[in-house]
Amino acid sequence: MIRGGRNTITSVPAFSNDAKKLLLCTANSVSVYSVDTGLRITSLEGHTAPVTTVIVVPLPTNTIFLCWTTSLDGKIRLWDFSEPKILKTVDAQLPVYSLVIPSHVSDDLIAYASVEDCSNVSKDLFGQIRRLNLCEEPFCSGDTLKEMEEPKPIVISPSGEFFGVCHNCKIHIWNASCEEMAKETTTLHHTQLITVFAFHPDKRMLAAGDVTGRVLIWKEFGNGEVISVKSEHDAESCTVFNWHSHEVTVLNFSSDGTVLYSGGKDGVLVAWQLDTGNTQLMPKIESPLLYFILSSDPTLSSIKKFQVICADNQIHFLKMPSMEILRTISGIKPPARPKGLLCYIKTMDICLIRTVSIDRSSGIAAFSTSNHRVQLYNLLSDCEISEVQVCERNHQPDDDEVQVFISAVALARNGSVMTTAEVRLAAGSLSEGLVSLKFWVFVPDKKTFSLSTVINQPHREAAITAITLSPVRFMAVTTSSAGDFKIWVCNSDKNLTPEDKWIFHGVGSYKKKPITAAAFSGDGSCLAIAATTVILIWDPKKNELMFVFEKFHAPIMELSFAGGFIVAASHGPPSTPQLSVWDVMTLGLSWSYRLYMEAIATEASSSDPYFAVLTWLPESYRSVKSNEQIFRGKDGAILLFDGSGPKPVAIWTVMNARGGSLSFVEDSKKSQILLAYVNGNHEYVLFDPHSDDTTETSAKDYEVLLAAITKKKKRSRKKTLLAMSERPLEKRFCGSTLNIPPFPDVCGSFFASHMRKRICERVEMQPESHSA
Amino acid sequence: MNLVNIRDVLTSFSPALDYLALSTGDGRIKIWDTVKGQVQTEFADLASAEETNIYTKVGKGHLSVDYTCMKWLALEKKKKRKLGTSLLVLGTGGGDVLALDVASGQLKWRISDCHPGGVNAVSSSTKASFIYSGGADGMVCEIDPHSGNLIRKFKASAKAVSSLSVSPDGKTLATASAQLKTFKCSDLKKIQKFTGHPGGVRCVAFTEDGKFILSSAVGERYIAVWKTDGAKKQSASCVLALEHPPVFVDSWGETEGKGLYVLAISEIGVCYFWYGSNVEELGNAKPTKVALAAEDFALKHHKGSLPIIFAAKLQGILKPGSVNAFIASGLLVKPSFQKMVLQFGTDLVLNASKNGILLPITQSESKSKKGQGVQNKVTTLDRTHAEDALLPIARVADLHEKKRLQPHSSDKDTDMVDQSQADHVETFSMEDKLRSLGILKGTNEQSNLSYASVVEGIDLEAYLPPKKLKTAVLSMAPSTAFKTLEALVLMWQTRGCGGKCLLPWIYSIMVNHSHYIMSQEPKNHQLLDTLLKITKPRGTALQQLLQLSGRLQLVTAQINKAAGNQTQTTVHDQEIDENEDEQEDVEEHVYAENDYESDLSSDDGKDKDDTLMGEI
Repeated sequence: MIRGGRNTITSVPAFSNDAKKLLLCTANSVSVYSVDTGLRITSLEGHTAPVTTVIVVPLPTNTIFLCWTTSLDGKIRLWDFSEPKILKTVDAQLPVYSLVIPSHVSDDLIAYASVEDCSNVSKDLFGQIRRLNLCEEPFCSGDTLKEMEEPKPIVISPSGEFFGVCHNCKIHIWNASCEEMAKETTTLHHTQLITVFAFHPDKRMLAAGDVTGRVLIWKEFGNGEVISVKSEHDAESCTVFNWHSHEVTVLNFSSDGTVLYSGGKDGVLVAWQLDTGNTQLMPKIESPLLYFILSSDPTLSSIKKFQVICADNQIHFLKMPSMEILRTISGIKPPARPKGLLCYIKTMDICLIRTVSIDRSSGIAAFSTSNHRVQLYNLLSDCEISEVQVCERNHQPDDDEVQVFISAVALARNGSVMTTAEVRLAAGSLSEGLVSLKFWVFVPDKKTFSLSTVINQPHREAAITAITLSPVRFMAVTTSSAGDFKIWVCNSDKNLTPEDKWIFHGVGSYKKKPITAAAFSGDGSCLAIAATTVILIWDPKKNELMFVFEKFHAPIMELSFAGGFIVAASHGPPSTPQLSVWDVMTLGLSWSYRLYMEAIATEASSSDPYFAVLTWLPESYRSVKSNEQIFRGKDGAILLFDGSGPKPVAIWTVMNARGGSLSFVEDSKKSQILLAYVNGNHEYVLFDPHSDDTTETSAKDYEVLLAAITKKKKRSRKKTLLAMSERPLEKRFCGSTLNIPPFPDVCGSFFASHMRKRICERVEMQPESHSA
Repeated sequence: MNLVNIRDVLTSFSPALDYLALSTGDGRIKIWDTVKGQVQTEFADLASAEETNIYTKVGKGHLSVDYTCMKWLALEKKKKRKLGTSLLVLGTGGGDVLALDVASGQLKWRISDCHPGGVNAVSSSTKASFIYSGGADGMVCEIDPHSGNLIRKFKASAKAVSSLSVSPDGKTLATASAQLKTFKCSDLKKIQKFTGHPGGVRCVAFTEDGKFILSSAVGERYIAVWKTDGAKKQSASCVLALEHPPVFVDSWGETEGKGLYVLAISEIGVCYFWYGSNVEELGNAKPTKVALAAEDFALKHHKGSLPIIFAAKLQGILKPGSVNAFIASGLLVKPSFQKMVLQFGTDLVLNASKNGILLPITQSESKSKKGQGVQNKVTTLDRTHAEDALLPIARVADLHEKKRLQPHSSDKDTDMVDQSQADHVETFSMEDKLRSLGILKGTNEQSNLSYASVVEGIDLEAYLPPKKLKTAVLSMAPSTAFKTLEALVLMWQTRGCGGKCLLPWIYSIMVNHSHYIMSQEPKNHQLLDTLLKITKPRGTALQQLLQLSGRLQLVTAQINKAAGNQTQTTVHDQEIDENEDEQEDVEEHVYAENDYESDLSSDDGKDKDDTLMGEI
């Protein structure tokens, strides 16, 4: 079982005292990376919810490495991270969003935490700043310093003297050095929403950034008075730096206090000389900056000085002062969330963006990212391979002029061929965009893709709804919302090089209906095309129609071949969503479920075909009381079917299923087939669908767990299936009343009886279909 | 010759083959990421790192260290820790053995003066329960990989131990000076002795099943294969000959009759591969060679080091005689990594990438030109092109018919075409009639596909000198030639292929098979008619076409000049260009590879106009 694609930057990372290790909060664990090599050394596992803070305990010696972590599960833990060991656990009982530990004043370890307390529903103030004593036994929940609408991160000054939170247009600052409970000393006011602020290492100076991109510097705060900025030019006690065009997200003073670093959504890091106001820019980071920390370097003689920048799930080590990226730790980039594109495609009654594509044979996944690139990631070894710039365009945070999106990506043939479609929308006119289709070929020497063919406006003005590549031949199909699909072929057959052109092979359409999905059969001889509510079976080579199914009520969104079956998922606003399985031999519906499908993965190469579907369960399903026990906050499920019938062989419940994708991946080393699930946040998990060892993943971030119902081994599958078929389907869902009716259908109860017959026929026909 | 001798290069793949450690003899170790092809990290100054705090040397410490051997091993996972540490064990010429924790980039342990006179070899089994090192003092040390403690030490030979290897199961140890000896790891008892090598053995390796030992001595151009089970003293089971002395040997043997696989790299960076189902067969096998292409012009004149294959590892067996191998090749400053299938009996030549070479100025110019060429090789099609190639929208009128009979969808062979021809005569449907007359166009494109297969034997794209063309045409049987002619005419008519390629063929067939064509008069009447119909208006338009083509070339050249040879042409620019062209009423795209193609496409455009006229 392989997990990966973790979001490495859920909160602020921290350097160890000797600046050789970097601690990153990766969902439920803390990963320790080596600064020298950029490789992961170890990870601290134990929290059951995302880790929110990691604080390295400042110790003079370099032999003991201690850190505190807090998590949303309400625990505060002390670790020895040189060899991962929990030294102490404090139960705060409330989700902790942020924690600061000012320098020791007395024997007590006083910490200030930002927690969420929903117990008092009468007030809307859920976020609280509390003073905790971490050494006290038993632990008490502490005094409340401040209440806010939601929990905010606490910022502490490097000297440990002050700490504060920003709240709307205000910054509240407390003096932590008081022996008693710290009294709020100062409030700083501003006219704009403050997004981030930082303390100067030794002076009473504070820098704050706001949503408009301004950086304000207050001097001599903390005298007890309330300082406010009334207008933009009120510069008595406050200096304003203007550079950023967008929200400031990162602020930090250098350790000697002479330089202020600021960064924002525009992806530019600016270094301000505080005395002169001179700036130095680092614009090479193509994504919004999230955090910026400096290594506390104990040996001043060392030339190396690291800063860390996190952006877009990438962590860059910078060498200062040249601002050169030394090393990068990269995870899978988070999905782009285009605003305009959704509108654009919705106007066509189709909302389809396929931005994740997994190649079955090599385990390489292609993710389209927000900065107009496609990231290639090896799922089996959990490492990034390369990035491909699909359109020549810089990162623009909020550009209303022109919007460019990668709307579809497809990868096939051992990861050697990639096809991308991009949409360029002019301002205002969301109905018409410039679409271009690009074919890429992998160049092994350079370890990256090279552009082979560009086709502008392949379907006139219409958007491309799906791209499918043939599993055996150099053949691609693009479908459009304008009602036609086109088949493209490459003029060479083996060992594709970028010089080989892709040419147009054929076009087809069906009653001018928008084409919503396409799928090749396993041997590439057959093409299934979904024209909204109709499935066409097409011969791609001769470009000739072979058969038509016309029995759907909602547009078909996903289509796939599974052995002798066609699996189709349809959903649309007027009618109920449906997963239906069609028999290619009898050309009729075998069975169907009334479920909302996100993705289908099929595995036809082995002797018995099976397929898995990812279903997204709407709130109404999950909130049913009896189902809460099953789902426990998870919003989707993966169901594994084999060719024999409508009863799932295995069920796993998953989190974040919306926008997820699913594929079978061949692990060449162990020669087994794994199931890869990538969730909506581009985190993934790989597991063997036929083994039971996935049950150990009880409370991990991905929450893939085998439902209690599927406790059987692969070898005994055939036998148990027969036994299972007597039991009603509901039994498989722990006897609960999960509203997945066994045979909902398109034609009412009549069809149910009809279908049962079909199943029988099917079973008899099975050997025949295998031989075929 | 090479500036860096491959003998001095130390390489070691990580157990999972995702990293390669490379040391070129200057005391620095680079860790390459084989997936990305980038340097992951570099270790320098390691040996001196501990002392430098006192003396504060400035980064030259690595030059005083010479590593003599290297081995990457993965430690077993302890307890529930998720990540097993991987260690890089190194021996130095000064006699130290040290281990690096690769992930954290720190020295894990170090044994100073383990082998006075220098460490010559380190090895461990796949499980890495113990590390064995051998040195110039003839001793072999057993070391605990976790702590770096010296567990045992024994005298293996009177002379220096030049190489040693541990069997994959960790039970047998093979040491080599001039003589090979095997020991039981548990009690260090001598098992066997193999004599025959005249000098110090450079490399020793066990096969995967531990049944054979491969060895090669310095300067020898062969690899000796020894059986581990059998007599106490024995001579080599077989000998594998190479053209140059080998520096590295890896092997994969399977007991279940799958045979023995041996991989070796010679001093000049050529990879050899042997396969035999048993030892006798292996001894008779002729090696398969994998080499880098050496004919490259730029590299020949390059005085520096040549690209070589310097590391390889067998990964697994696909089927008898073919294996998966992971090969690191190219220049040592910028290696490239490939996973490839080695098929026994077929030599491979890899392309040497020029990455990492600092080319002289003239060549760098040519390189930049090449870059431009690559840019131009990107084919850009716009909507006009897509529309040009439109196939008919398949009709779905007669759905209830299980499979529509398609007279023109014949696919494979000429007989089918014949039949379609027959159908064509028999049918009286208006549509077909029109189609046959070339009036109803477009719909024929389906058959176009089939015709394309008729002329499959002919490479239309390739330019043939007239003589060859003539012989090719003459070699056809008259009936085939006639069919080809029909196909060609149809293709020309439907513009399935450029006229430039087709016309010489049509012409040649008309000339060489005129008798047959004449004899087929009733049948071919309409064919010739069509041909005439197409040819005539084009002939009249030729003059204007040439003028237009010339003008276009001029304009294009001017545009290019004005653009100042910008290599980076954005998509946007292309669009503009195309728009301009459309305004000029010429359907062509500028980014063709050369003038010939733009000529061709303008020809096409003209064709379209002409045929339109014809239809009217």
